[in-house]
Amino acid sequence: MAKNIPQEWLAEFEAAARRPLEVRLRYAFIRTYKPVMDDEKFRAFETMEDYRRWCEENLPRWLGYARV
Amino acid sequence: MPAFEYRQAEEIKQALRRHHVRYLFIGKSGAILLGFPDTTQDADLFVDRNPENGHALIESLRELGFDLTEQQASDVERGKDFIQLKNGPFDLDLVFAPDGIESFEDAWKRRIEVQDFPVCHIDDIIASKEAANRERDRESLPRLRAFRDYWMQKRNRNQS
Repeated sequence: MAKNIPQEWLAEFEAAARRPLEVRLRYAFIRTYKPVMDDEKFRAFETMEDYRRWCEENLPRWLGYARV
Repeated sequence: MPAFEYRQAEEIKQALRRHHVRYLFIGKSGAILLGFPDTTQDADLFVDRNPENGHALIESLRELGFDLTEQQASDVERGKDFIQLKNGPFDLDLVFAPDGIESFEDAWKRRIEVQDFPVCHIDDIIASKEAANRERDRESLPRLRAFRDYWMQKRNRNQS
């Protein structure tokens, strides 16, 4: 199966496939503080372009939200 | 705030179903539901944008414990393209017009049900990340594409 997939990733996919959904979700969701992003309780953007621009202008670059 | 839990995913599913909200899990949380082993902070929902669905969504969110002002509820009901909610029991992103996906109807037709969770097809999740073209997406896409190949092969094998 999936002979072009790197062995390490394949092993991870197969291990995940063996776990029940509840366990997968327990491992998947983590909580870390994201500066600026987590400082407001609610934000709404009229367009996706507005949102992307806001991310680029306000979030630290290292968070990775800037477009390439 | 503690991390999002399976119990909360179940609560989303139950509440949105009770109010007949049309939505799909999208983004990394959607991929994780499909089996992609990775980590994320919040759940992303792609919601069908129409007044009736928006109203039902508000009812569901309030039932789940989101504290929405009238103005915020109006923004959700109108279906602004992107809404971040951090005023409830967990963080939730609502996306009404994800990059790279033509329409909700198209995505709905291709959806995958994972234990009754409606999830965007892996191709739609990848398409939206490709179109967003953020640095974080560029880093995660090769592994996500590899997962897509694994997932499709497994699915085809199970269907044959």
